[in-house]
Amino acid sequence: MPAYKLTYFNGRGSAEIVRLAFAAGGIEYEDVRLERDQWPDLKPNTPMGQVPILEVDGTMLCQSNSIARYVAKQAGLAGKTPLEQARVDMIMDGMEEMGRKGYAAYFEKNEDIKAERTKEYEETFLPQFFTFLNKLVGDSGHFVGNELTLADITFFNMATLVGTWMKLPDVDEFSGLKKVMEHVTSNPGLAKWLKERPETPF
Amino acid sequence: MPAYKLTYFNGRGTAEIVRLVFAAAGISYEDVRLEQDKWPELKPKTPMGQVPILEVDGTMLCQSNSIARYVAKQAGLAGKTPMEQARVDMVMDVMDDMGKKGNAVFWEKDEETKAEKKKEYEETFLPQFFTCVNKLVGDSGHFVGDELTLADITYFNTTNLVGNYFKLPNMEEFSGLKKVTEHVTSNPGIAKWLKERPETPF
Repeated sequence: MPAYKLTYFNGRGSAEIVRLAFAAGGIEYEDVRLERDQWPDLKPNTPMGQVPILEVDGTMLCQSNSIARYVAKQAGLAGKTPLEQARVDMIMDGMEEMGRKGYAAYFEKNEDIKAERTKEYEETFLPQFFTFLNKLVGDSGHFVGNELTLADITFFNMATLVGTWMKLPDVDEFSGLKKVMEHVTSNPGLAKWLKERPETPF
Repeated sequence: MPAYKLTYFNGRGTAEIVRLVFAAAGISYEDVRLEQDKWPELKPKTPMGQVPILEVDGTMLCQSNSIARYVAKQAGLAGKTPMEQARVDMVMDVMDDMGKKGNAVFWEKDEETKAEKKKEYEETFLPQFFTCVNKLVGDSGHFVGDELTLADITYFNTTNLVGNYFKLPNMEEFSGLKKVTEHVTSNPGIAKWLKERPETPF
C-alpha cells in the first residue's frame, strides 16, 4: 500500500471530502495540517499553488474532487462500472455547484447583494436542488447502486459544510436524502472519523 | 455499441467538451440542439434541471465533465491507470476553475466591478494560471502520459471558449501548452469536428 500524505490547512474546507473518503475506505494516511506561516514556502511547490494536495508514489495531486475520486477508487467507493462511475461523478459535480453558489453568496462583500443572493439561495435554489437530488436516490437509499459511494459521502459533506453558512431545507422532508445521510453517518469508518475529527472554525 | 443522445442548446457552451471527446473517440452520437421553447418541458425530466444531458442505456447523465469522462473512458482517453486518471481529472478541475472564474466575470452585473474583474482576470490571473498549467505538461507534449487524453482536450476547449471573450496572454510563451494545442487540433477526429461544427454565438 503506498504511503498517502494529505496536506491542507487546519480545517475541513475542501480537504474534508478526501479525509472522509480515506475514513470510509479504511485507508491510512498522513493528515498534515499547515500552519499559515508554512504555506508561502509550500505554495510554489504545489501543482497549482493550492491545497489540498495528496502526495503518493512520488507524485503530487491537487484538486479535492480528483483526489477524493482517486482515493475512493482504491476502496471501491467510486462506482463499479463506467456508468455507475459517471453517476457518482455527476452527483459530485452537482454538489460542487451547490457549494460554489453558496460560497459566492456567503462571501459576497456587498451587504445588499449578499442579502439578495442568500435569500434566493435559501428560499429558491436549495429547495429546488434538493427536490431534484432526492429523486436521484435509489430505493436502496444510495445515489448509485446498493452500497455507499463517494456520491453519498459528497452529499453529506457538502450539505453539512454549506449548512454551517446557510439555512438548508429540512432533510427530513426528503426521504431519499435522509436515507443517504443515515447510511453515511452509520458507516463505521465515517462514524469514527466524525466523532474524532478536530473541531475547527472551518 | 449503445446509442448516445446528447442534448443541449444550440451552442458550444458546456456541451462542447462532450462533443470534442466524441469526435476524438470516433464515436457516433445524436447531437440534439434544443430550441429555447422546448427547454421548459424537458427541464423537470432532467436529473438536475440542466443541460447538457447524455442519454445512454436507458439512463440520463448530467454534468458536462462527468459525461465527458464517461465518453472518454469508452475510448481510452481518460487515463490508463488510477493515477493517470487522477491526473487527467486534476487538469479538468483546474481548467474548470479557470472557466468558472471567467464566467463569474462575464456575468457580473455592475459595469465598474466587471471592468475591474476583467482586468484582474486578463492581466494577473491568466498569466499566472497558464504559467502553472504549462509546468504540468510532460515532455511528450501531453498533460498525462504519451498520448491524447481528456486533459489535453479540456485544456484546449476551455482556453478556446474563454479566449472568445477575454484577452489571453501570448500563448507562444508557453511551450508545453503550445504542444498540447497542436496535438489536440491535429487529432483527425477533432480536426474534422472543428472544421464542420456549426457556427454559433456561444
